[in-house]
Amino acid sequence: MMKLLSQRLLGPVTLVLLALTVWLGIWVTPPDRIQGNLARLVYVHPAVAWVALYVSFGTATIASGLYLWRRTRSMVMDRVAHCAMEVSAVFIILTLITGSIWGRPTWGVWWAWDARLTSTAILGVFALAYLALRRANDDVEVRARRSAVFALLAAINVPIIHFSVQWWKTLHQNATVFTSTRTLLIHGIMAWTLLISFVAFTLLFFWLLRARYRLEEARDEEVARGLEEALAERQREGVR
Amino acid sequence: MSDTESLDLTPVAAPPTTRRSRRRNVAVFVALFAAVVALLAQGVLHSLNYFDTVDQALATRASLGTTTFRLEGIVAAHTITRTSRGASFWMDGGNAKRVFVDAVGQPPQLFQSNIPVVVLGHFTSRTSDTFDATQILVKHTASYIAAHPSRVRAPNGTVR
Repeated sequence: MMKLLSQRLLGPVTLVLLALTVWLGIWVTPPDRIQGNLARLVYVHPAVAWVALYVSFGTATIASGLYLWRRTRSMVMDRVAHCAMEVSAVFIILTLITGSIWGRPTWGVWWAWDARLTSTAILGVFALAYLALRRANDDVEVRARRSAVFALLAAINVPIIHFSVQWWKTLHQNATVFTSTRTLLIHGIMAWTLLISFVAFTLLFFWLLRARYRLEEARDEEVARGLEEALAERQREGVR
Repeated sequence: MSDTESLDLTPVAAPPTTRRSRRRNVAVFVALFAAVVALLAQGVLHSLNYFDTVDQALATRASLGTTTFRLEGIVAAHTITRTSRGASFWMDGGNAKRVFVDAVGQPPQLFQSNIPVVVLGHFTSRTSDTFDATQILVKHTASYIAAHPSRVRAPNGTVR
C-alpha cells in the first residue's frame, strides 16, 4: 500500500519541488553580492552535478557491486546499474552544459582545463564507455559481469572529482555545502532553496530511474515472449 | 512419437559476431580511449594545478623568466585602470607581495576590485614585477552572500 502510494506520489512531488525551486530561485531569493543574478544558477548546477556524480553514478556502482557479489547477484541489479548509468550519462552532460553556461559570464570562458572540469568530462566518457560496453556483447551474463567490473573501476574517478578542488589549484570554486570545515557558505533563503533543489533533482533521478527500469523490464519481457513464440513456431513446424 | 521427440532441441552456440559489428565495437572503444587520453593529456598533465599564486610566481620568477603561465591573486582595491587595450591593475598575493598586471582584451563582466582572478601571460623580464596578460579569468569564491541583506520589505511589498 505504502509502496504503491510512494510510487504514485513520486512524479507529482518531484514536479512540485522542481516548480518550487524555480519559483524560489528566480523570484524569491536575493541576488548575490558579487555574482548578482548569475548566482541563481547555484540552484541548478550543483544539484545536477550532485545527481550525476553521487546519486546516479553511486547507484550504478552499488548495483554493480551487488551484482558481482554472489549472495546478491541477480539480473535486477544489472538492470538497475544499466538504467542508473544511462541517467548518470545524461546528468553528467547536463552538469557540463550548465557549468559552461555559468562559467562564460563569471570566469569569462566557456571551458577551462582545470582538474575539476577535466575529471568530470572523463567521468562522462566513462559513462558512455559503459553503455558502449553493454552493446558490445550479446551474452547476458558476460555483459553484466564485464559492465559491473567496469562501473566499479570507473567509480574511482568520483572521489578524485570531489577532492580535486582541495588537492589541486583549480579555477572551479571550492565546495559551498560539503566543505572540509563543515561550514555552510550560503545562508537563509538561498541555503533553503539550494537544499530544495538537491531534493527535487534527487527525486527526479529516482523518477527517471523507475521509468527507465520499467522500460527495460518491458523490453526483456518482449524478448522472452519473442523467444517463446519462436520456440512454439519451431514446434509447430516439427509437428507438420 | 511426441512433438518434442521430432525436434532437435540440442543447445546451439550463438552465431559468431560478424566482422562488421566487431570492427564497429573496436572503433567505438578506440574513440573513447582516445578521448580519455586526450582529456588526461590536456587537463591533468598540462594543468593539474591550474595556476601559480603571486607568492609562488615571485619566488620562482628567475626560473620562470618570460614563459607564459597562469597567475592567481586578488585584484587590489582602487588600482584598476581601464586602458585602450584592456585594463591594468595591481594583484595582491599573501605576505604583502604584489604584481602589476597589464592586460589586453575585454575583462569578464564580474571583474572588479577585491576578487580573486587568474591571468594568463608572462613577466616582462626575469626581475620585473610587471606581468603582461592576454586573458583575465574571474575566480569567484564559494560563498554566496545576499546583495542587500539589510533591505526591509514594506507592508505594501516594496523593498527599501
